[in-house]
Amino acid sequence: MNKSVVYMIAFVIIFVFVLVSVHSQEDMERVDNSVFKNPERPSALFRHDEHNENADIENCSECHHLYEDGQMIEDGSSEDQHCSDCHALKASDSIPALRKAFHMNCKGCHLEQKQGPVTCGECHKK
Amino acid sequence: MHDLYIFITGPLAWAAFILFIGGSLYRLLAMLILVNRKERFIFSYMSLRYGLRSILHWITPFATVNMRRHPVLTVVTFLFHICLIVTPIFLLSHVILWDESWNLSWWSLPDGLADFMTIIVIAGAIFFLIRRIVSPEVQFVTSASDYIILAIVAAPFVTGFLAYHQWFAYEFFMVLHILTGEMMLVAIPFTRLSHMIYSPFTRAYMGSEFGGVRHAKDW
Amino acid sequence: MGEPAEINEIKDKGLEIGAERLTEDKIEKTINSVLKGETGARLKAYVDTCIHCGLCSEACHYYLSRDNDPHFSPVGKVKQTIWEMLKKKGKVSPEFIKKASEIASTECNLCRRCAMYCPFGIDIAYMMLIVRRICHMLGVTPLYIQDTAHSHSVTMNQMWVKGDEWPDTLQWQEEEAQAEIPTLRIPLEKEGADVMYSVIGPEPKFQAQLIYQAAVIMNVAGIDWTMPASSGWDNSDMAMYTGDNEIMGRVKRAHFETAARLKVKKIVMGECGHAFRSVYDVGNRWLGWRIPPVEVVHAIEFYHDILKEGRIKISKKFETPVTLHDPCNIVRGRGLHEMSRYVTREMCEELIEMHPNREHNYCCCAGGGVINCGPPYKNKRIMSNRVKAEQLFAAKAKGAKVLIAPCHNCHSGLEDINHHYGLGLEIKFLMDILYEVMDKPE
Repeated sequence: MNKSVVYMIAFVIIFVFVLVSVHSQEDMERVDNSVFKNPERPSALFRHDEHNENADIENCSECHHLYEDGQMIEDGSSEDQHCSDCHALKASDSIPALRKAFHMNCKGCHLEQKQGPVTCGECHKK
Repeated sequence: MHDLYIFITGPLAWAAFILFIGGSLYRLLAMLILVNRKERFIFSYMSLRYGLRSILHWITPFATVNMRRHPVLTVVTFLFHICLIVTPIFLLSHVILWDESWNLSWWSLPDGLADFMTIIVIAGAIFFLIRRIVSPEVQFVTSASDYIILAIVAAPFVTGFLAYHQWFAYEFFMVLHILTGEMMLVAIPFTRLSHMIYSPFTRAYMGSEFGGVRHAKDW
Repeated sequence: MGEPAEINEIKDKGLEIGAERLTEDKIEKTINSVLKGETGARLKAYVDTCIHCGLCSEACHYYLSRDNDPHFSPVGKVKQTIWEMLKKKGKVSPEFIKKASEIASTECNLCRRCAMYCPFGIDIAYMMLIVRRICHMLGVTPLYIQDTAHSHSVTMNQMWVKGDEWPDTLQWQEEEAQAEIPTLRIPLEKEGADVMYSVIGPEPKFQAQLIYQAAVIMNVAGIDWTMPASSGWDNSDMAMYTGDNEIMGRVKRAHFETAARLKVKKIVMGECGHAFRSVYDVGNRWLGWRIPPVEVVHAIEFYHDILKEGRIKISKKFETPVTLHDPCNIVRGRGLHEMSRYVTREMCEELIEMHPNREHNYCCCAGGGVINCGPPYKNKRIMSNRVKAEQLFAAKAKGAKVLIAPCHNCHSGLEDINHHYGLGLEIKFLMDILYEVMDKPE
């Protein structure tokens, strides 16, 4: 009995490890909302890779846009930065506040594409 | 879902707000025109001082004899109306929608508090419903329209509450919430919910008559 | 509800015969012509604003006295009358009109207490007056009050007092009073006097001693006063309460024009409530005056002024403890409650307040023309004001023995309540006491 039990336990441990590590590294579950102080809602559900696959998005700058002097830079992308690096909690001259930026980025596109969640509770699931 | 959402938050919302604001202005204007045409004397008795004196007494909790006679009803009535007006205007989700559509943003309530205020509105509506059924003097003058307007007012809060908590069918209640909210706005000028529009005037007129002509209190 | 049968089986010929003459067509036309021609934004706003909350109920002495029967709440009466007419666009039966007339004329004193209890300040008395107006146009008005309206129409006074009876009565009272004060005069038709003193029809008819007392007070106080010798002397106005606005206006015009003819500075009125309402608040509006064209002073204010100015001295205060009734038409209608208390305290040793009081006092249930609807409704009127009896009993328990009622209708209505409920109070006008306690020349 011993051997098979040991193999089985080992298999389960490895499986779980792989599963967890793959998930945590490869695809996120929710948007990181740690920048917000006392957020009112749970952070938005968002599986990055799955989303892009479903939405057929190849170009990172679709979402990770880059602006300079108020002009969007073609093909410039900002996936190496945090959204909050540019979008502060409060809006400044031309840069929307972080919350609004998220909402406009996600919901705005969903409405244009008529795909994906648009009401509060569809993303901010309890 | 998207087409429905776009329709009810787009053209339908426009229609609701236009009917609400336009309808209210129309009712107000129609009233003033009618006064001017048939009861112009009202203008000559209207007094800013006594009108405001009366309104102030009647919007201050327990400032009138009848409010003190019915302490429970007074508390419920004030909480109900305050929450009814304040919650939708300062609800975070609503403020966000204003911001997205019009770039207009203002202070918002913490969701927990808004949730509690919603419960107050719902509980108040239930209280009024029970009072309407149980009190003979209220039952006697109750008609179907009274239940309907109570339901019209309660509906956006009940559906909003369910949608916020995401119990049961979220999307269904979300859509219903938007629809019932729009229905309530439209109903205000065209049902007896118009007491929202008229009551400051009826109150001010009675206050003016009592203060200016009759030299007496009206509270 | 354990009431004497007679309350529920009132026969009133004015209503019975009036209703017999009606056709559905006439009713519909009349209701709509009144609603369309004579009402406007006020009625519409009142009907559209009323949220049917029933909060006016406890304001009404009928409701309170009839074991909280919702038929007697202010809004309950509106529902049974004007709402129905509006809802059915005037298509109601003669039977309905009869009932509506009875409700509006005999189950509401137009005391306006409910206006102080409605959160929106809806004027239910006004709506009851519209119902009375409609019933008047249909010729369905309680017989007795209709008779007084006829009297106003024919004689310009309420009591069929004939042209010569009036100066005769004044002369008679002058002679009586001269036995007490030999120099006393009741100056008739004195042009340019400061004051025209006017009274209600019942004074010369049954209460001539009030004219006597008034003459004594005027003379002792040294007032430059006069009384008219011909019609226009009566300030009362029951046509105001039958919905006969045209007659009401004629009567008021006669009154104001008499004052203008005599070129007086002001009209001083005796202790009457409805007459004051008609001259001070209602008649002037019908005639197009925002405020009365001649200054109108109620007896309470007049006594207040002459006591304050020291024109009358009190020789010995009235010792029996008194309680004071606040008549709706001069308290809710003119805010004279502090003046009446001043007068009472100047004249009496002890004033025991009844509760509620001032603007919140309970109506006597006689005013608004209700007592003028006569004997058929007497029991109903008394039964419908048990709450007044309870209020007075409480004042009596605190020691009050005399009830001051500075209004004719209140006086008569309270007398019925006093008698029926066995209160054992003595009811007086302020003038009765003033006459008794004032310093008079030897």
